[in-house]
Amino acid sequence: MKKRKKKNLMIFIFLVIVAILMLLPFAWLILSSFRENMDLLSNPFGTPKSLSIQNYVDVFRRQPMLRYLFNTCLVAVIAVVLDVFVSMLTGYAMLHRFRFRKTLSVMFYVGLFIPANAFMVPYYIMITKAGLYDKIAGLGMVYAAINLPFSIMIIRGFLETLPKQVMESGRIDGATTNQLLWKIVFPMSKPGIVTVCIFIIINSWNELFFANLLTQSAKSQTITVAIKSFLSAFEANYGYAFAAMMISILPTIIVYVFLTNKIIGGMTAGAVKE
Amino acid sequence: MTKKRWIILYLVPALFFAVIFFIIPLIYILYVSFFEWNGLNNMTWIGIQNYLDVLKDANFQLAFKNTILWILAAVCIHVPFGLLLALLLNRKVFGWKVFRVLFFLPNVISITALAFLWYFIYHQDMGLLNWGLRAAGLTSATRGWLTDLGTALPATMVPFVLYVGLTTVIFLTQLATVSDEMREAAILDGATGWQMDRYVYIPLVKPAIATNLMLNVAFCLKNFEYPFVMTSGGPINSTTTLSLYVYKKMMNANQYGISMVGSVFTILLGFILMILVNRMQKDRKDA
Repeated sequence: MKKRKKKNLMIFIFLVIVAILMLLPFAWLILSSFRENMDLLSNPFGTPKSLSIQNYVDVFRRQPMLRYLFNTCLVAVIAVVLDVFVSMLTGYAMLHRFRFRKTLSVMFYVGLFIPANAFMVPYYIMITKAGLYDKIAGLGMVYAAINLPFSIMIIRGFLETLPKQVMESGRIDGATTNQLLWKIVFPMSKPGIVTVCIFIIINSWNELFFANLLTQSAKSQTITVAIKSFLSAFEANYGYAFAAMMISILPTIIVYVFLTNKIIGGMTAGAVKE
Repeated sequence: MTKKRWIILYLVPALFFAVIFFIIPLIYILYVSFFEWNGLNNMTWIGIQNYLDVLKDANFQLAFKNTILWILAAVCIHVPFGLLLALLLNRKVFGWKVFRVLFFLPNVISITALAFLWYFIYHQDMGLLNWGLRAAGLTSATRGWLTDLGTALPATMVPFVLYVGLTTVIFLTQLATVSDEMREAAILDGATGWQMDRYVYIPLVKPAIATNLMLNVAFCLKNFEYPFVMTSGGPINSTTTLSLYVYKKMMNANQYGISMVGSVFTILLGFILMILVNRMQKDRKDA
Protein backbone atom coordinates (compact mmCIF):
# COMPACT_ATOMS: atom_id res chain seq x y z
CA MET A 1 0.00 0.00 0.00
CA LYS A 2 2.81 2.35 0.89
CA LYS A 3 4.46 1.72 -2.44
CA ARG A 4 1.25 2.59 -4.22
CA LYS A 5 0.96 5.87 -2.37
CA LYS A 6 4.47 6.81 -3.38
CA LYS A 7 3.68 6.00 -6.99
CA ASN A 8 0.53 8.10 -6.90
CA LEU A 9 2.53 10.98 -5.50
CA MET A 10 4.93 10.72 -8.42
CA ILE A 11 2.05 10.69 -10.89
CA PHE A 12 0.58 13.71 -9.13
CA ILE A 13 3.87 15.60 -9.40
CA PHE A 14 4.15 14.71 -13.08
CA LEU A 15 0.62 15.99 -13.72
CA VAL A 16 1.41 19.22 -11.89
CA ILE A 17 4.46 19.74 -14.11
CA VAL A 18 2.41 19.15 -17.26
CA ALA A 19 -0.27 21.55 -16.04
CA ILE A 20 2.37 24.22 -15.35
CA LEU A 21 3.91 23.74 -18.81
CA MET A 22 0.49 24.13 -20.40
CA LEU A 23 -0.73 27.05 -18.35
CA LEU A 24 2.38 29.09 -17.59
CA PRO A 25 2.12 30.89 -20.96
CA PHE A 26 -1.38 32.04 -19.99
CA ALA A 27 -0.23 33.31 -16.62
CA TRP A 28 2.49 35.26 -18.40
CA LEU A 29 -0.06 36.61 -20.89
CA ILE A 30 -2.44 37.76 -18.15
CA LEU A 31 0.28 39.45 -16.14
CA SER A 32 1.82 41.13 -19.20
CA SER A 33 -1.53 42.46 -20.38
CA PHE A 34 -1.67 44.64 -17.26
CA ARG A 35 1.80 46.07 -17.68
CA GLU A 36 2.90 49.19 -19.51
CA ASN A 37 4.68 48.78 -22.80
CA MET A 38 7.84 50.60 -21.69
CA ASP A 39 8.00 48.53 -18.55
CA LEU A 40 7.59 45.35 -20.62
CA LEU A 41 10.30 46.33 -23.06
CA SER A 42 12.90 47.48 -20.58
CA ASN A 43 12.38 44.71 -18.10
CA PRO A 44 10.17 41.94 -19.47
CA PHE A 45 10.51 39.60 -16.52
CA GLY A 46 11.31 41.81 -13.57
CA THR A 47 8.79 42.78 -10.96
CA PRO A 48 6.21 44.91 -12.74
CA LYS A 49 6.46 48.59 -11.87
CA SER A 50 2.74 48.94 -11.85
CA LEU A 51 -0.30 47.03 -12.99
CA SER A 52 -3.11 48.88 -14.68
CA ILE A 53 -5.99 48.32 -17.04
CA GLN A 54 -4.71 51.11 -19.28
CA ASN A 55 -3.86 48.69 -22.12
CA TYR A 56 -7.43 47.44 -22.16
CA VAL A 57 -8.87 50.92 -22.14
CA ASP A 58 -6.61 51.97 -25.00
CA VAL A 59 -7.37 48.89 -27.09
CA PHE A 60 -11.10 49.46 -26.73
CA ARG A 61 -10.64 53.12 -27.64
CA ARG A 62 -8.47 52.52 -30.70
CA GLN A 63 -10.27 49.51 -32.13
CA PRO A 64 -13.98 48.77 -32.48
CA MET A 65 -13.62 45.75 -30.20
CA LEU A 66 -17.31 45.61 -29.31
CA ARG A 67 -18.15 45.55 -32.98
CA TYR A 68 -15.76 42.62 -33.56
CA LEU A 69 -17.25 40.74 -30.62
CA PHE A 70 -20.75 41.45 -31.90
CA ASN A 71 -19.83 40.27 -35.42
CA THR A 72 -18.40 37.06 -34.02
CA CYS A 73 -21.57 36.34 -32.06
CA LEU A 74 -23.76 37.10 -35.06
CA VAL A 75 -21.77 34.82 -37.37
CA ALA A 76 -22.00 32.03 -34.80
CA VAL A 77 -25.76 32.53 -34.42
CA ILE A 78 -26.32 32.37 -38.19
CA ALA A 79 -24.28 29.18 -38.45
CA VAL A 80 -26.03 27.61 -35.46
CA VAL A 81 -29.56 28.41 -36.62
CA LEU A 82 -28.93 27.18 -40.17
CA ASP A 83 -27.18 24.01 -39.05
CA VAL A 84 -29.70 23.05 -36.38
CA PHE A 85 -32.57 23.59 -38.80
CA VAL A 86 -30.97 21.65 -41.66
CA SER A 87 -29.68 18.86 -39.41
CA MET A 88 -33.05 18.37 -37.71
CA LEU A 89 -34.76 18.00 -41.09
CA THR A 90 -32.05 15.70 -42.41
CA GLY A 91 -31.75 13.62 -39.26
CA TYR A 92 -35.49 13.14 -39.12
CA ALA A 93 -35.71 12.19 -42.79
CA MET A 94 -32.88 9.73 -42.36
CA LEU A 95 -34.91 7.87 -39.73
CA HIS A 96 -37.11 6.71 -42.59
CA ARG A 97 -36.36 4.31 -45.39
CA PHE A 98 -35.98 5.60 -48.91
CA ARG A 99 -33.85 5.05 -51.98
CA PHE A 100 -30.35 6.60 -51.95
CA ARG A 101 -30.40 6.69 -48.15
CA LYS A 102 -27.13 4.78 -48.04
CA THR A 103 -25.55 7.07 -50.67
CA LEU A 104 -26.51 10.13 -48.66
CA SER A 105 -25.06 8.59 -45.51
CA VAL A 106 -21.74 8.01 -47.23
CA MET A 107 -21.73 11.54 -48.59
CA PHE A 108 -22.26 13.08 -45.15
CA TYR A 109 -19.52 10.84 -43.77
CA VAL A 110 -17.05 11.87 -46.46
CA GLY A 111 -17.95 15.49 -45.74
CA LEU A 112 -16.55 15.05 -42.25
CA PHE A 113 -13.06 14.50 -43.58
CA ILE A 114 -12.82 16.92 -46.46
CA PRO A 115 -10.23 19.54 -45.55
CA ALA A 116 -12.52 22.54 -46.11
CA ASN A 117 -9.53 24.83 -46.58
CA ALA A 118 -9.01 23.22 -49.97
CA PHE A 119 -12.26 24.89 -51.09
CA MET A 120 -10.85 28.31 -50.50
CA VAL A 121 -10.89 29.53 -54.12
CA PRO A 122 -14.39 28.33 -55.05
CA TYR A 123 -15.83 29.66 -51.79
CA TYR A 124 -14.13 32.98 -52.31
CA ILE A 125 -15.46 33.30 -55.85
CA MET A 126 -18.96 32.12 -54.92
CA ILE A 127 -19.27 34.45 -51.97
CA THR A 128 -17.96 37.39 -53.99
CA LYS A 129 -20.27 36.66 -56.94
CA ALA A 130 -23.23 36.39 -54.57
CA GLY A 131 -22.43 39.87 -53.29
CA LEU A 132 -21.67 38.50 -49.84
CA TYR A 133 -17.98 39.37 -49.64
CA ASP A 134 -17.21 41.27 -46.43
CA LYS A 135 -20.74 40.52 -45.18
CA ILE A 136 -21.56 38.70 -41.96
CA ALA A 137 -24.17 36.65 -43.80
CA GLY A 138 -21.58 35.30 -46.24
CA LEU A 139 -19.24 34.14 -43.49
CA GLY A 140 -22.17 32.68 -41.55
CA MET A 141 -23.21 30.62 -44.59
CA VAL A 142 -19.70 29.26 -45.00
CA TYR A 143 -19.45 28.38 -41.30
CA ALA A 144 -22.80 26.64 -41.53
CA ALA A 145 -21.52 24.67 -44.52
CA ILE A 146 -18.23 23.56 -42.97
CA ASN A 147 -19.87 22.54 -39.68
CA LEU A 148 -22.85 20.85 -41.28
CA PRO A 149 -21.46 17.29 -41.66
CA PHE A 150 -20.59 17.17 -37.95
CA SER A 151 -23.90 18.72 -36.97
CA ILE A 152 -25.84 16.17 -39.03
CA MET A 153 -23.82 13.32 -37.53
CA ILE A 154 -24.57 14.40 -33.94
CA ILE A 155 -28.26 15.18 -34.41
CA ARG A 156 -28.85 12.07 -36.51
CA GLY A 157 -27.14 9.94 -33.88
CA PHE A 158 -29.28 11.53 -31.21
CA LEU A 159 -32.58 11.10 -33.06
CA GLU A 160 -31.81 7.42 -33.51
CA THR A 161 -31.74 7.02 -29.72
CA LEU A 162 -35.25 8.49 -29.29
CA PRO A 163 -37.92 5.90 -28.47
CA LYS A 164 -39.91 4.94 -31.56
CA GLN A 165 -43.14 4.64 -29.56
CA VAL A 166 -43.32 8.40 -29.05
CA MET A 167 -43.45 9.02 -32.77
CA GLU A 168 -45.91 6.22 -33.35
CA SER A 169 -48.29 7.40 -30.66
CA GLY A 170 -48.07 10.91 -32.12
CA ARG A 171 -49.02 9.54 -35.50
CA ILE A 172 -51.98 7.65 -34.06
CA ASP A 173 -53.14 10.90 -32.45
CA GLY A 174 -53.36 12.25 -35.98
CA ALA A 175 -50.29 14.48 -36.09
CA THR A 176 -48.97 15.14 -39.60
CA THR A 177 -45.35 14.33 -40.41
CA ASN A 178 -44.43 17.97 -40.10
CA GLN A 179 -46.20 18.45 -36.77
CA LEU A 180 -44.53 15.32 -35.46
CA LEU A 181 -41.11 16.75 -36.26
CA TRP A 182 -41.56 20.22 -34.76
CA LYS A 183 -43.99 19.53 -31.90
CA ILE A 184 -42.67 16.21 -30.63
CA VAL A 185 -39.22 15.29 -31.96
CA PHE A 186 -37.69 18.77 -31.87
CA PRO A 187 -38.36 19.48 -28.16
CA MET A 188 -37.02 16.04 -27.26
CA SER A 189 -33.77 16.65 -29.13
CA LYS A 190 -32.53 19.40 -26.86
CA PRO A 191 -29.39 17.59 -25.60
CA GLY A 192 -28.24 16.88 -29.15
CA ILE A 193 -28.95 20.44 -30.21
CA VAL A 194 -27.03 21.86 -27.25
CA THR A 195 -24.01 19.75 -28.23
CA VAL A 196 -24.14 21.07 -31.78
CA CYS A 197 -24.54 24.66 -30.59
CA ILE A 198 -21.50 24.47 -28.33
CA PHE A 199 -19.40 22.88 -31.03
CA ILE A 200 -20.34 25.45 -33.68
CA ILE A 201 -20.07 28.47 -31.40
CA ILE A 202 -16.57 27.50 -30.29
CA ASN A 203 -15.52 26.76 -33.87
CA SER A 204 -16.93 30.04 -35.16
CA TRP A 205 -15.33 31.99 -32.36
CA ASN A 206 -11.95 30.48 -33.15
CA GLU A 207 -11.96 30.18 -36.93
CA LEU A 208 -9.40 32.24 -38.83
CA PHE A 209 -8.94 30.85 -42.35
CA PHE A 210 -12.27 31.77 -43.91
CA ALA A 211 -12.80 34.81 -41.72
CA ASN A 212 -9.52 36.16 -43.02
CA LEU A 213 -10.43 35.27 -46.60
CA LEU A 214 -13.99 36.56 -46.71
CA THR A 215 -13.98 39.72 -44.63
CA GLN A 216 -12.12 42.95 -44.96
CA SER A 217 -13.54 45.69 -42.79
CA ALA A 218 -14.70 46.22 -39.22
CA LYS A 219 -18.32 45.86 -40.31
CA SER A 220 -17.89 42.12 -40.73
CA GLN A 221 -14.54 41.06 -39.28
CA THR A 222 -14.62 38.62 -36.39
CA ILE A 223 -12.47 38.88 -33.31
CA THR A 224 -9.92 36.33 -34.57
CA VAL A 225 -9.20 38.27 -37.77
CA ALA A 226 -9.06 41.48 -35.79
CA ILE A 227 -6.49 39.92 -33.47
CA LYS A 228 -4.46 38.77 -36.45
CA SER A 229 -4.35 42.27 -37.88
CA PHE A 230 -3.42 43.70 -34.47
CA LEU A 231 -0.22 41.71 -34.70
CA SER A 232 0.92 44.10 -37.39
CA ALA A 233 -0.85 47.17 -36.06
CA PHE A 234 0.35 46.75 -32.47
CA GLU A 235 3.69 45.14 -33.25
CA ALA A 236 5.48 47.95 -31.49
CA ASN A 237 3.22 47.91 -28.47
CA TYR A 238 3.30 44.58 -26.73
CA GLY A 239 1.10 45.74 -23.89
CA TYR A 240 -1.71 46.43 -26.37
CA ALA A 241 -1.14 43.15 -28.18
CA PHE A 242 -1.40 41.18 -24.93
CA ALA A 243 -4.52 43.04 -23.83
CA ALA A 244 -6.15 42.47 -27.24
CA MET A 245 -5.42 38.75 -27.00
CA MET A 246 -6.93 38.63 -23.52
CA ILE A 247 -10.08 40.32 -24.80
CA SER A 248 -10.42 37.69 -27.51
CA ILE A 249 -9.94 34.67 -25.25
CA LEU A 250 -11.70 35.90 -22.13
CA PRO A 251 -15.27 35.22 -23.33
CA THR A 252 -14.46 31.59 -24.15
CA ILE A 253 -12.72 31.09 -20.82
CA ILE A 254 -15.60 32.60 -18.86
CA VAL A 255 -18.11 30.40 -20.66
CA TYR A 256 -15.84 27.42 -20.12
CA VAL A 257 -15.66 28.05 -16.39
CA PHE A 258 -19.45 28.09 -16.10
CA LEU A 259 -20.24 25.26 -18.51
CA THR A 260 -17.12 23.08 -18.16
CA ASN A 261 -18.78 19.71 -18.43
CA LYS A 262 -21.26 20.72 -21.10
CA ILE A 263 -18.44 22.09 -23.23
CA ILE A 264 -16.15 19.11 -22.76
CA GLY A 265 -19.11 16.88 -23.58
CA GLY A 266 -20.06 18.96 -26.61
CA MET A 267 -16.59 18.97 -28.08
CA THR A 268 -15.98 15.26 -27.58
CA ALA A 269 -19.47 14.10 -28.50
CA GLY A 270 -19.64 11.69 -31.36
CA ALA A 271 -16.02 10.74 -30.82
CA VAL A 272 -16.75 7.88 -28.45
CA LYS A 273 -19.25 5.17 -29.22
CA GLU A 274 -20.22 2.92 -26.37
CA MET B 1 -49.16 16.02 -48.31
CA THR B 2 -47.97 12.44 -47.99
CA LYS B 3 -45.21 11.35 -45.69
CA LYS B 4 -42.96 10.53 -48.61
CA ARG B 5 -43.23 14.05 -50.00
CA TRP B 6 -42.35 15.52 -46.62
CA ILE B 7 -39.27 13.33 -46.38
CA ILE B 8 -38.07 14.48 -49.80
CA LEU B 9 -38.74 18.06 -48.85
CA TYR B 10 -36.77 17.65 -45.61
CA LEU B 11 -33.71 16.54 -47.54
CA VAL B 12 -33.72 19.57 -49.82
CA PRO B 13 -31.77 21.96 -47.53
CA ALA B 14 -29.00 19.44 -46.84
CA LEU B 15 -28.76 18.64 -50.55
CA PHE B 16 -28.65 22.35 -51.29
CA PHE B 17 -25.64 22.75 -48.98
CA ALA B 18 -24.00 19.60 -50.32
CA VAL B 19 -24.35 20.75 -53.93
CA ILE B 20 -23.37 24.39 -53.38
CA PHE B 21 -20.56 23.91 -50.88
CA PHE B 22 -19.25 20.48 -51.74
CA ILE B 23 -20.06 19.10 -55.19
CA ILE B 24 -19.83 22.27 -57.26
CA PRO B 25 -16.57 23.42 -55.58
CA LEU B 26 -15.08 19.97 -56.11
CA ILE B 27 -15.91 20.00 -59.83
CA TYR B 28 -14.79 23.60 -60.08
CA ILE B 29 -11.41 22.85 -58.49
CA LEU B 30 -10.83 19.93 -60.83
CA TYR B 31 -11.88 21.98 -63.85
CA VAL B 32 -9.79 25.09 -63.15
CA SER B 33 -6.75 22.99 -62.27
CA PHE B 34 -6.31 22.41 -66.02
CA PHE B 35 -6.13 26.13 -66.82
CA GLU B 36 -3.68 28.91 -66.48
CA TRP B 37 -5.55 31.72 -64.79
CA ASN B 38 -4.65 34.80 -62.75
CA GLY B 39 -8.18 35.32 -61.49
CA LEU B 40 -8.92 38.23 -63.83
CA ASN B 41 -8.11 37.59 -67.49
CA ASN B 42 -9.31 34.74 -69.66
CA MET B 43 -8.43 31.24 -68.67
CA THR B 44 -6.11 29.28 -70.94
CA TRP B 45 -6.39 25.51 -71.20
CA ILE B 46 -2.98 23.99 -70.55
CA GLY B 47 -3.87 20.38 -69.81
CA ILE B 48 -1.91 18.78 -67.01
CA GLN B 49 0.84 21.40 -67.12
CA ASN B 50 -0.18 22.78 -63.69
CA TYR B 51 0.12 19.34 -62.17
CA LEU B 52 3.60 18.90 -63.63
CA ASP B 53 4.62 22.38 -62.43
CA VAL B 54 3.34 21.79 -58.94
CA LEU B 55 5.06 18.43 -58.60
CA LYS B 56 8.32 20.06 -59.67
CA ASP B 57 7.80 23.09 -57.40
CA ALA B 58 10.28 22.91 -54.53
CA ASN B 59 7.88 24.91 -52.34
CA PHE B 60 5.09 22.43 -52.89
CA GLN B 61 7.38 19.54 -52.07
CA LEU B 62 8.35 21.35 -48.89
CA ALA B 63 4.72 22.09 -47.99
CA PHE B 64 3.81 18.46 -48.64
CA LYS B 65 6.72 17.19 -46.58
CA ASN B 66 5.87 19.56 -43.73
CA THR B 67 2.24 18.47 -43.72
CA ILE B 68 3.40 14.85 -43.50
CA LEU B 69 5.72 15.84 -40.63
CA TRP B 70 2.77 17.48 -38.85
CA ILE B 71 0.79 14.28 -39.29
CA LEU B 72 3.72 12.27 -37.92
CA ALA B 73 3.94 14.61 -34.93
CA ALA B 74 0.23 13.98 -34.35
CA VAL B 75 0.54 10.20 -34.67
CA CYS B 76 3.86 9.68 -32.86
CA ILE B 77 3.79 12.35 -30.16
CA HIS B 78 0.44 14.08 -29.72
CA VAL B 79 -1.79 10.99 -29.55
CA PRO B 80 0.57 8.86 -27.36
CA PHE B 81 1.06 11.81 -25.01
CA GLY B 82 -2.70 12.29 -24.81
CA LEU B 83 -3.09 8.59 -24.04
CA LEU B 84 -0.42 8.72 -21.34
CA LEU B 85 -2.18 11.61 -19.60
CA ALA B 86 -5.52 9.82 -19.86
CA LEU B 87 -4.10 6.63 -18.31
CA LEU B 88 -2.54 8.62 -15.49
CA LEU B 89 -5.75 10.57 -14.83
CA ASN B 90 -7.59 7.26 -14.95
CA ARG B 91 -5.66 6.19 -11.84
CA LYS B 92 -7.88 8.74 -10.09
CA VAL B 93 -4.98 10.36 -8.26
CA PHE B 94 -5.66 13.32 -6.01
CA GLY B 95 -7.18 16.20 -7.98
CA TRP B 96 -7.59 14.28 -11.24
CA LYS B 97 -10.84 16.04 -12.05
CA VAL B 98 -9.18 19.43 -11.72
CA PHE B 99 -6.32 18.32 -13.98
CA ARG B 100 -8.83 17.19 -16.57
CA VAL B 101 -10.45 20.62 -16.61
CA LEU B 102 -7.09 22.42 -16.70
CA PHE B 103 -5.69 20.26 -19.50
CA PHE B 104 -8.78 20.87 -21.60
CA LEU B 105 -8.77 24.64 -21.13
CA PRO B 106 -6.34 25.50 -23.99
CA ASN B 107 -8.59 23.58 -26.38
CA VAL B 108 -11.42 26.09 -26.07
CA ILE B 109 -9.07 28.95 -26.94
CA SER B 110 -8.66 29.87 -30.58
CA ILE B 111 -5.58 28.53 -32.31
CA THR B 112 -4.98 32.04 -33.56
CA ALA B 113 -4.62 33.28 -29.99
CA LEU B 114 -2.49 30.27 -29.02
CA ALA B 115 -0.24 30.77 -32.04
CA PHE B 116 -0.01 34.45 -31.20
CA LEU B 117 0.90 33.68 -27.60
CA TRP B 118 3.63 31.27 -28.64
CA TYR B 119 4.93 33.77 -31.16
CA PHE B 120 5.69 35.97 -28.16
CA ILE B 121 7.04 33.08 -26.10
CA TYR B 122 9.59 32.44 -28.86
CA HIS B 123 10.40 36.13 -29.23
CA GLN B 124 14.14 36.72 -29.34
CA ASP B 125 14.38 39.55 -26.80
CA MET B 126 11.32 39.46 -24.60
CA GLY B 127 10.16 35.88 -25.05
CA LEU B 128 9.47 33.63 -22.10
CA LEU B 129 11.60 30.80 -23.51
CA ASN B 130 14.82 32.76 -23.98
CA TRP B 131 14.30 34.37 -20.59
CA GLY B 132 14.02 30.94 -18.99
CA LEU B 133 17.17 29.78 -20.76
CA ARG B 134 19.08 32.86 -19.67
CA ALA B 135 17.89 32.43 -16.10
CA ALA B 136 19.11 28.84 -16.22
CA GLY B 137 22.52 30.01 -17.42
CA LEU B 138 22.03 28.59 -20.92
CA THR B 139 22.48 31.90 -22.72
CA SER B 140 24.20 30.18 -25.64
CA ALA B 141 21.03 28.20 -26.36
CA THR B 142 18.90 31.30 -26.82
CA ARG B 143 17.89 32.22 -30.34
CA GLY B 144 15.06 33.55 -32.46
CA TRP B 145 13.21 30.27 -32.39
CA LEU B 146 10.89 31.13 -35.24
CA THR B 147 13.50 32.73 -37.48
CA ASP B 148 16.13 30.02 -37.08
CA LEU B 149 15.91 27.53 -39.95
CA GLY B 150 16.72 24.61 -37.68
CA THR B 151 14.07 25.27 -35.05
CA ALA B 152 11.23 27.08 -36.85
CA LEU B 153 9.23 24.02 -37.94
CA PRO B 154 9.36 22.10 -34.64
CA ALA B 155 8.68 25.37 -32.81
CA THR B 156 5.41 25.86 -34.71
CA MET B 157 4.40 22.31 -33.75
CA VAL B 158 5.07 22.57 -30.02
CA PRO B 159 1.76 24.16 -28.97
CA PHE B 160 -0.18 21.56 -30.98
CA VAL B 161 1.79 18.72 -29.43
CA LEU B 162 1.49 20.17 -25.93
CA TYR B 163 -2.23 20.98 -25.86
CA VAL B 164 -3.61 17.45 -25.87
CA GLY B 165 -6.65 18.11 -23.69
CA LEU B 166 -9.24 17.18 -26.29
CA THR B 167 -7.42 13.96 -27.20
CA THR B 168 -7.00 13.08 -23.52
CA VAL B 169 -10.66 13.64 -22.72
CA ILE B 170 -11.74 11.45 -25.65
CA PHE B 171 -9.54 8.67 -24.23
CA LEU B 172 -10.90 9.28 -20.73
CA THR B 173 -14.49 9.02 -21.94
CA GLN B 174 -13.69 5.67 -23.50
CA LEU B 175 -11.85 4.52 -20.36
CA ALA B 176 -14.92 5.31 -18.28
CA THR B 177 -16.83 2.62 -20.21
CA VAL B 178 -14.63 -0.11 -18.70
CA SER B 179 -16.99 -2.02 -16.46
CA ASP B 180 -16.39 -2.29 -12.72
CA GLU B 181 -16.53 -6.10 -12.85
CA MET B 182 -13.74 -6.18 -15.37
CA ARG B 183 -11.65 -3.84 -13.24
CA GLU B 184 -12.26 -5.85 -10.10
CA ALA B 185 -11.58 -9.15 -11.84
CA ALA B 186 -8.23 -7.84 -13.02
CA ILE B 187 -7.36 -6.58 -9.54
CA LEU B 188 -8.30 -9.96 -8.07
CA ASP B 189 -5.95 -11.58 -10.56
CA GLY B 190 -3.25 -9.45 -9.00
CA ALA B 191 -2.76 -6.96 -11.83
CA THR B 192 -0.66 -3.96 -10.82
CA GLY B 193 -1.26 -0.44 -12.11
CA TRP B 194 0.94 -0.80 -15.16
CA GLN B 195 -0.40 -4.27 -15.96
CA MET B 196 -3.93 -2.93 -15.75
CA ASP B 197 -3.03 -0.29 -18.33
CA ARG B 198 -1.27 -2.75 -20.59
CA TYR B 199 -3.77 -5.60 -20.55
CA VAL B 200 -7.09 -4.03 -19.63
CA TYR B 201 -7.21 -0.36 -20.53
CA ILE B 202 -5.09 0.02 -23.66
CA PRO B 203 -6.84 -2.81 -25.56
CA LEU B 204 -10.17 -1.25 -24.60
CA VAL B 205 -9.37 2.25 -25.82
CA LYS B 206 -8.41 1.09 -29.32
CA PRO B 207 -11.57 2.60 -30.86
CA ALA B 208 -10.63 5.90 -29.24
CA ILE B 209 -7.10 5.61 -30.64
CA ALA B 210 -8.56 5.33 -34.14
CA THR B 211 -10.89 8.28 -33.49
CA ASN B 212 -8.09 10.43 -32.15
CA LEU B 213 -5.81 9.55 -35.06
CA MET B 214 -8.57 10.49 -37.47
CA LEU B 215 -9.38 13.80 -35.76
CA ASN B 216 -5.75 14.84 -35.43
CA VAL B 217 -4.80 13.82 -38.96
CA ALA B 218 -7.78 15.81 -40.24
CA PHE B 219 -6.59 18.76 -38.17
CA CYS B 220 -3.03 18.56 -39.52
CA LEU B 221 -4.30 18.38 -43.10
CA LYS B 222 -6.06 21.70 -42.83
CA ASN B 223 -3.58 23.19 -40.42
CA PHE B 224 -3.18 26.80 -41.39
CA GLU B 225 -3.32 29.01 -38.31
CA TYR B 226 -0.12 27.96 -36.55
CA PRO B 227 2.31 28.64 -39.42
CA PHE B 228 0.25 31.55 -40.80
CA VAL B 229 0.26 33.47 -37.52
CA MET B 230 3.66 32.47 -36.18
CA THR B 231 5.88 32.59 -39.26
CA SER B 232 3.74 33.18 -42.40
CA GLY B 233 5.48 30.06 -43.65
CA GLY B 234 9.03 31.44 -43.27
CA PRO B 235 11.94 31.48 -42.85
CA ILE B 236 12.53 30.60 -46.52
CA ASN B 237 9.23 28.69 -46.62
CA SER B 238 10.55 26.15 -44.13
CA THR B 239 7.27 26.08 -42.16
CA THR B 240 4.77 26.17 -45.05
CA THR B 241 1.96 23.62 -45.00
CA LEU B 242 -0.37 22.55 -47.81
CA SER B 243 -3.14 24.92 -46.69
CA LEU B 244 -0.72 27.80 -46.59
CA TYR B 245 0.64 26.86 -50.03
CA VAL B 246 -2.86 26.91 -51.53
CA TYR B 247 -3.54 30.22 -49.80
CA LYS B 248 -0.33 31.89 -50.95
CA LYS B 249 -0.60 30.70 -54.55
CA MET B 250 -3.97 32.40 -54.76
CA MET B 251 -3.59 35.48 -52.56
CA ASN B 252 0.03 36.41 -53.18
CA ALA B 253 0.91 34.88 -56.53
CA ASN B 254 -2.53 34.98 -58.24
CA GLN B 255 -1.83 31.57 -59.74
CA TYR B 256 -5.32 30.14 -59.47
CA GLY B 257 -4.67 27.02 -61.51
CA ILE B 258 -1.63 26.14 -59.42
CA SER B 259 -3.56 26.85 -56.22
CA MET B 260 -6.30 24.45 -57.34
CA VAL B 261 -3.79 21.71 -58.00
CA GLY B 262 -2.58 22.19 -54.42
CA SER B 263 -6.21 21.77 -53.31
CA VAL B 264 -6.64 18.62 -55.38
CA PHE B 265 -3.56 17.07 -53.79
CA THR B 266 -4.73 18.07 -50.31
CA ILE B 267 -8.11 16.44 -50.86
CA LEU B 268 -6.46 13.32 -52.34
CA LEU B 269 -4.13 13.03 -49.38
CA GLY B 270 -7.16 13.41 -47.10
CA PHE B 271 -8.96 10.56 -48.87
CA ILE B 272 -5.96 8.27 -48.73
CA LEU B 273 -5.42 8.89 -45.01
CA MET B 274 -9.12 8.48 -44.30
CA ILE B 275 -9.15 5.12 -46.07
CA LEU B 276 -6.00 4.03 -44.20
CA VAL B 277 -7.45 4.83 -40.78
CA ASN B 278 -10.75 3.25 -41.77
CA ARG B 279 -9.00 0.08 -42.90
CA MET B 280 -7.13 0.00 -39.58
CA GLN B 281 -10.44 0.10 -37.76
CA LYS B 282 -11.87 -2.67 -39.92
CA ASP B 283 -8.84 -4.95 -39.50
CA ARG B 284 -9.22 -4.65 -35.79
CA LYS B 285 -12.87 -5.58 -35.91
CA ASP B 286 -12.12 -8.66 -38.01
CA ALA B 287 -9.25 -9.77 -35.80
